[in-house]
Amino acid sequence: MIELTVNGVRHTLDVEADTPLLWVVRDYLNLTGSKFGCGAGLCGACTMHLNGSPIRSCITPLAAVAGQQITTIEGIGSSGNLSTVQQAWVEHNVPQCGYCQSGQIMSASALLRDNPNPSDADIDNAMSGNICRCGTYPRIKKAIKHAAGQLSADRNSDLFKELTHG
Amino acid sequence: MADNTPALDRRTFLKASSVTGGGLLMTIALPACSTLKNGGINRDNGSQGWDANAWLRIDSDNSIHFVLDRTEMGQGTYTGMTSLLAEELEVDPEVVQVSFAGVDSVYRNTIYGIQITGGSTSVASSWQIIRECGAATRMMLIQAAATTWGISPDLCYAELGHVVNKTTANKISFGQLAAIAATYSLPSDIPLKDKADFKVIGKYNKRLDAEKKATGSADFGIDTQLPGMLYAVVSRAARWDSELKSFDDSNARKVPGVVDVFAIEVPGSAGVAVVANSYWQARKAQQQLTVEWHNSELTQVSDDSIFAQYQADMAADSGNNVRDQGDINAALDNAADTIRAEYKMPFLAHATLEPQNCTAWAREDGLEIWAPTQGPDMARVAAAKASRYSLDDIKVNVTFIGGGFGRRINNDFVAEAAAISDRLQQPVKLIWSREEDTQRDFYRPSSYHQLTATVDQQGKISGWRHQMAGSGVFDYFVGEAAPAQYPFMPKFMFGMLESAGKLGEGIIAPADGSIFEGANHLPYEFDNISVDYKKSDSGILVGNWRSVGYSHNGFITETFIDQLAARQQTDPVNFRLNLLKNNPRATRVLKLAAEKASWGTPLPGCSQGVALHKSFGTWVAEIADVAVKDGNIQVKRVVCVVDCGQVVNPDTVTAQMEGGIIFALTAALYGKISIKNGEPQQTNFHDYQLLRMPQSPQIDVHIIDSDESPTGVGEPGVPPLAAAVANAISRKTGQRFYSLPLELNS
Repeated sequence: MIELTVNGVRHTLDVEADTPLLWVVRDYLNLTGSKFGCGAGLCGACTMHLNGSPIRSCITPLAAVAGQQITTIEGIGSSGNLSTVQQAWVEHNVPQCGYCQSGQIMSASALLRDNPNPSDADIDNAMSGNICRCGTYPRIKKAIKHAAGQLSADRNSDLFKELTHG
Repeated sequence: MADNTPALDRRTFLKASSVTGGGLLMTIALPACSTLKNGGINRDNGSQGWDANAWLRIDSDNSIHFVLDRTEMGQGTYTGMTSLLAEELEVDPEVVQVSFAGVDSVYRNTIYGIQITGGSTSVASSWQIIRECGAATRMMLIQAAATTWGISPDLCYAELGHVVNKTTANKISFGQLAAIAATYSLPSDIPLKDKADFKVIGKYNKRLDAEKKATGSADFGIDTQLPGMLYAVVSRAARWDSELKSFDDSNARKVPGVVDVFAIEVPGSAGVAVVANSYWQARKAQQQLTVEWHNSELTQVSDDSIFAQYQADMAADSGNNVRDQGDINAALDNAADTIRAEYKMPFLAHATLEPQNCTAWAREDGLEIWAPTQGPDMARVAAAKASRYSLDDIKVNVTFIGGGFGRRINNDFVAEAAAISDRLQQPVKLIWSREEDTQRDFYRPSSYHQLTATVDQQGKISGWRHQMAGSGVFDYFVGEAAPAQYPFMPKFMFGMLESAGKLGEGIIAPADGSIFEGANHLPYEFDNISVDYKKSDSGILVGNWRSVGYSHNGFITETFIDQLAARQQTDPVNFRLNLLKNNPRATRVLKLAAEKASWGTPLPGCSQGVALHKSFGTWVAEIADVAVKDGNIQVKRVVCVVDCGQVVNPDTVTAQMEGGIIFALTAALYGKISIKNGEPQQTNFHDYQLLRMPQSPQIDVHIIDSDESPTGVGEPGVPPLAAAVANAISRKTGQRFYSLPLELNS
């Protein structure tokens, strides 16, 4: 039995310890917002937060995160209750196929928490592990800047509510 | 592939009827195929109890349901098609609840005669009929209100889901009127709005699926969950045509959670399926499986042998002439000089970020499929071929699609899932790994090209000859497409239909332009033009890849034209404009691009390159500002001008140009699948790289304001890009490029 806290909810799981966190969350906890893209930590579609830091859940075995705090896209915000980053994504029509966007938003949220006013180079650096095959990079960049502006205007907004889990 | 009959006039077949609870249902009244006998499992509340051929339903609670008959893979049909309906119906697009259509002949793409999302055709093929559906419904709702009030319909108008009485300003909601409207027959004359009255078309700039996709709540194929569902992976041969010799599953079966291991035979391919209680258990067990394959005919096939074959086939026979203007032989005979170039274009993988996957549930009474597919009716054929079920007993549910780019026109993943579930009679989700997805793709065909330009005695370019060889993609999906066109045919006829489809290519089906399109319609006004295509099948699986033939011909024609401009010592923009005197749309696009990019004044450290190409009816010009630094190509900015006729959603057009440019830049800088002894060599994103944010240029898109009929935007951003980048580098370094990806001379 392995314990894990996902989006503030504690789970006790009877799952083989080498199972990647991604498949635990998708197949056992039925949270399918985090996506499978490469299985090798190369594309970022599976990005989650481990104690607030972005990780590639497709190469992170369950045993390595036992007892720790995990946040998935479902813990960031939901329809009608969007986080500021998600709101910026909607306002800039960022998604095309949308498959990578959960991972993009997880990376962007972590960036903005650590660096509320990122430069272009900071954004490039933080987001370079996330592939978007549809080519939404220009909009992701704009949305991150927009969200950063919103964040600095209101540090206590719901933008950081995911941190309450971490 | 096209229907023999003229494009269906669906308006004639629109039919209104009532639904339980006092709603209005608009259906398309054609003889419809039966669906799964029990109606299947409706996972979306919105689709409960729908007719197979429904299009629009207005319920008494004022909810509006629209069945989208084109798949949403990022290109924006979910928003665009809904906007067309909302415009004429007079509702806010955001209140419309959208669901994806299943299989029915009424949902066919009128351009192709099958139910396909591809060829950048969605808006072009539905522009008229969806608006007519919305307009007819609005007229009936207005009539219903007028009757209720006892006034003339002229004294009423529709606004935001209500009919308003002009005199009293009283309102009745569409939902309250639906039951009355459902008793009317369709108006005989359905006038559509004038452009001047548009409130949504050309103005609405949001994306209706953005929130779902920003919260992880959009359900892609891979997200399908069914009660008691098992997970499957499949081991396939490295060479797709290898037959299975034997396999040893003794160790695989010992892995905890494994349910079964068995051979599956799907048309054209064999595999060994490993089924387990979880995906990870199936993967672990797969590693314990040993499989032996028979030798294949591809064992001796590698990139070099493929290009040698193309070249030899072309030398033996130039093939079909697909453009013949003037007299190219006379131009060659009389030439004072000729300029020749030889191009080699690589195989390319689609690399959709959602790997191929499919969920299937075979039961006694039928087979139900959940698939991210670009062709639901072809998916149904693929499932029927791989299982014991007939078309009538198969229901296909379409999901959101995590990138298509043409990959999901081929439904091999559906066939595999159907075969596995059929064997087990349980719900099964099949997921391909990234490696499997990269190595078993239907690649953009590689191709070989010879270009010759003639210069006459006066020094003018007098002739253009383009000869090419490569595989055609049609042969690789006709086996699904031909039976999809004739759903009433029994399964034993599928093979005959496939053969007839192949023989009928160019006769009963449109010619397969997948190698020559974009070359045959060269826009430049040379006196003598000749384009030949020699079909030469490499044996490697090939398919439609975003912008298909235009993807290579845009590069080839636009780099060669630039080479001619340099030979003539003429500015590349002026050189093109001088050859487009009778083409006002092309001229306008190119001139605006030059103006917006400050042509002649590159960004610091950059040189500029231009390219212009028409594909899928849409003109696109792109100007790239490129720097070469430490042996690296850095694209700093791309200015793009697009003329796609009447625009439905301007921001979608912009997004598709941005996406097309980045997709094409990926191919220009990195794209190549190499073949060695019949085996594709690349496996994952470390050796089949995709562009990342730091390499992504600034992109400025400008849309021409136009009243012409709308044309495609999903693909036309792709073809000019590689040429614009190559031309920019050539301008600075003098190096010319005859293959992709771009490789700088050291």
